[in-house]
Amino acid sequence: MPETKQFMGMEGDGRNDTSLKANVVLQNRYKILGVIGGGGMGTVYQARDLMFTEAKRLVAIKEMQSAVTDANLRTTMLRNFQREANILATLSHPAIPKIFDFFDLSDRAYLVMEYINGRDLEVILSQTKELPIDKVIDWAIELCDVLDYLHSQTPNPIIFRDMKPSNVMIDALGRVRLIDFGIAKAFVRDDSGKGTMIGTEGYSAPEQYRGEAIPASDIFGLGATLHHILTRKDPRLEIPFSFHERPIPNFNPTVPSRMVSIIEKSLAKDIPDRFQTVPEIRTAFNELRSRPLSMPYATTGSSGQPQQSTNFFDDMTVNSDGDLGGLQPKWKFKTEDEIRVSPTVYRDMVLVGSYDTNMWALKLDSGEQVWKYATRGGIASSPTVDETNKNVVFGSEDFTVYALDVRSGRISWSFQTKDRIRSGARIAHDHVFFGSDDGKVYALNVLNGRMLWAFDAGAPVRSRPVVTEEIIIVPSATGEVYGLSLSGQRKWTYRTRGAVYSSPYFEPNEGSLFVGSSDGFMYAFDAHTGVSSWRFRTGAAVISSPTENKGLLYFGSADGYMYAVNAQTSREKWKFNAEKPIVGSPIVHKDAVYFGGTDEYFYCLDANTGKERWKYKTGGAITSAPTVSNDLILVGSLDHILYAFPLIN
Amino acid sequence: MSFFRRLFSNQADPKSPPTGRTAPLVDTPVNTPTPSVAAPSIPEVPIVDKPLRPTAELESRSVNGLGTGGLTDGVTRPLPQDALIDLTGNEHLAFGQATDIGMVRTNNQDSAFSFFSAARSAFERPDFGLFVVADGMGGHHDGEKASALAARAVGAYLMDKIGMSLLQGDERYNEVPITEAMSDAVLKANADVVQKVPDGGTTCTAVMVIGDMAYIAHVGDSRAYFVQREKVERLTRDHSLVERLIELEQLTREEAEDHPQKNVLYRALGQTDTIEVDTLTRRLPPRSRILICSDGLWNQVDDAKIRDVINLHPNPQEACSELVKLANNSGGLDNVTVILLQLPG
Repeated sequence: MPETKQFMGMEGDGRNDTSLKANVVLQNRYKILGVIGGGGMGTVYQARDLMFTEAKRLVAIKEMQSAVTDANLRTTMLRNFQREANILATLSHPAIPKIFDFFDLSDRAYLVMEYINGRDLEVILSQTKELPIDKVIDWAIELCDVLDYLHSQTPNPIIFRDMKPSNVMIDALGRVRLIDFGIAKAFVRDDSGKGTMIGTEGYSAPEQYRGEAIPASDIFGLGATLHHILTRKDPRLEIPFSFHERPIPNFNPTVPSRMVSIIEKSLAKDIPDRFQTVPEIRTAFNELRSRPLSMPYATTGSSGQPQQSTNFFDDMTVNSDGDLGGLQPKWKFKTEDEIRVSPTVYRDMVLVGSYDTNMWALKLDSGEQVWKYATRGGIASSPTVDETNKNVVFGSEDFTVYALDVRSGRISWSFQTKDRIRSGARIAHDHVFFGSDDGKVYALNVLNGRMLWAFDAGAPVRSRPVVTEEIIIVPSATGEVYGLSLSGQRKWTYRTRGAVYSSPYFEPNEGSLFVGSSDGFMYAFDAHTGVSSWRFRTGAAVISSPTENKGLLYFGSADGYMYAVNAQTSREKWKFNAEKPIVGSPIVHKDAVYFGGTDEYFYCLDANTGKERWKYKTGGAITSAPTVSNDLILVGSLDHILYAFPLIN
Repeated sequence: MSFFRRLFSNQADPKSPPTGRTAPLVDTPVNTPTPSVAAPSIPEVPIVDKPLRPTAELESRSVNGLGTGGLTDGVTRPLPQDALIDLTGNEHLAFGQATDIGMVRTNNQDSAFSFFSAARSAFERPDFGLFVVADGMGGHHDGEKASALAARAVGAYLMDKIGMSLLQGDERYNEVPITEAMSDAVLKANADVVQKVPDGGTTCTAVMVIGDMAYIAHVGDSRAYFVQREKVERLTRDHSLVERLIELEQLTREEAEDHPQKNVLYRALGQTDTIEVDTLTRRLPPRSRILICSDGLWNQVDDAKIRDVINLHPNPQEACSELVKLANNSGGLDNVTVILLQLPG
């Protein structure tokens, strides 16, 4: 287990070489046997109490030494220490070690207490691979018992303040013992202004850094301790208070979701969002223990399990009852084969291509058919509308690009390539740009379909090209991403390590380009130079095309997650598990992200948090991006159906 | 001396320390009072004729004397200020760099590295710059060793992977995304610090400029700012406990000012075998500036003052020197290091 190093600023900390040697006898009574550990503030020895000549009675002796040289301050600290030791001496609880004696000796203070034969949780963590969940729950409940005991002291509750794995011992009988009481606090060295230190305590509640310590602070510490031992991610090595960025199931899928909820609630940064008292959290843990662990617990997002008990789970918002809580599509339109690509809205019409070979034009408000146009191959190319010439442009697996009059569906022009077309077209600079499985990128005159140039990418081009004022970007199935001049000359090439089918996304303010690859990465480029600035690793191929909104980049991966990543830093903001590969592309509308999965669900998530708002089960996998228009969101599914959902807030 | 003459004459600026001899071990703290700024209008960068320049200019230096004396004395040796080639103008990036021990400390634990190349040739190559500030911590000279190692390791790694590739005209520089290479460089530096200075630690903020793109890698609380005439934007996030508490609205900026754990970092080089490196990409508009500095500056001088000084001094080297002066005049409680980049336009 990595230790967090502490840098004490200027000079050495002067606590070396001063520990007591074995066989030294203190107070004519305690014979030092050896060092058990070195706490932050001093040394802990194992000693034998010579008062009991017949029995070998072992004690632990904690030595407190202070590096503070100021005599007054020292006296004050010693007095505080003594006072706290006295308080502890009045405590009697099976999980609290008994205190036997307390004395000063040559500028050091000693505390003699019960010797606990056992290991602390930090040691246990380092010596095990996994801890049984029911055992952890038992420990949690025992810790609640002792915290409750401390918090119930009168006149003032005792706040432990320092809950962490190394302060929790499991004794030879398997019982929890809390060690290292806040006594040591008085001896904390004040390093302010002396120099920078690295490393944080990791387990303390935020308010403790404002000098507040209340029962809820110990609840936070308990949550932090449990989070550490369940995830095995040491919070001292992570961003402080970032537990929620390390969801327990990501590291330990065996933890029941109800237990995850209890721990997450106890780790809320704001006090009112936590359990307020130990009995509350203990009840939640007891509840957990009284049910068989294999029982499926209702979680946010999965289909609802009726809740019977009156515990805190009832307060938690269960976002979804599965099928959208009654929300139904405003209309559906069934084509004759799979809908693999995105619909496009043009004024009061929606255009969608189906693998049934037809381009369908429907009324946006009702889904009634306006016209259809049959090609000689399945349509796997999203349509694009040429606003100037009122044409809808798309490709077909019959190798042909079609431009149809958007109102009538009559053909304006067509252009034949040498293989199937699965790339969407981009219209810019009075030209149509698209790729074909014949390995070429074509630039056609948007008015008549006459070819201006073709660029040979050497492998199928299935993503919609990006065209800026200066450059055209097209990825290919070999994994290359090409930057072309407007005249079709190659300006730059970037090589990813897998085929690229994801359409690039261009962010004009920064001039950045984002594209996913089958090598599992999402890449960020400078669109003008092709210099790659970052890549983000997912667990499987990225076929889904990214989209950007308010500095966040959204994309799905075949690893089953929808990701939201900071576009400048590539830092993951959140990810959402859809269980099955996501190849469809997301869109963001207002503060929601919409996408479909191969799990047949159409999802709506909070764009900022990734929390599920609703989902709707279609009859087939969704492989394309939805489209938003006015008050509708449209998405096609492999169940042949185009769905139009009302947008709800 | 007029700005123009400073740019193109060989005559030393009378304010600069004498040149032509070994730099002093410890530079005298710059503690002349800042002249009170009464001029209401901010001078614009003068338009100058195109200076005579070689077709390629290479300029590199390291504050910590890594190239010459090694690390044995652990003492910062600032170069004379006018040893810089001043590239202020409207064609290429210009930069300044300054460091000082401050008014209180007995050693300078900061390190800095700057490299810039501008080329004009038939082979189209973007301008390339690499700038690093590292602020060391730890007793027994561990701090300055750690920061020196970090600045050197990051500089060397990135010059090798990217700088030389750009110069040689191969495609190697684009094999790995730039911020990933920068992150690798910082991890390499971390490994060096962990291995060679086990009791030391250091921050590290590195900025690479290729054309008008800035790529930033960062660990600790040395900062990079994006400075425009009206606004100052902090690009990096301090990896400090109090900054985190502020982010979570658990502490106010005022409370953080004199918090007992103000100096606690949760992430720094030398801490553990693996560290997370923050990276960031930014396109730089013409005439914008990037300021890289250790906490010796930002702890002493607020953002608005920093912006004012930078606006008042179109020459980035002068701006750097002024910022160091200002930090010292405000107490100079810590070592201070600044690098200022100014985009052409």
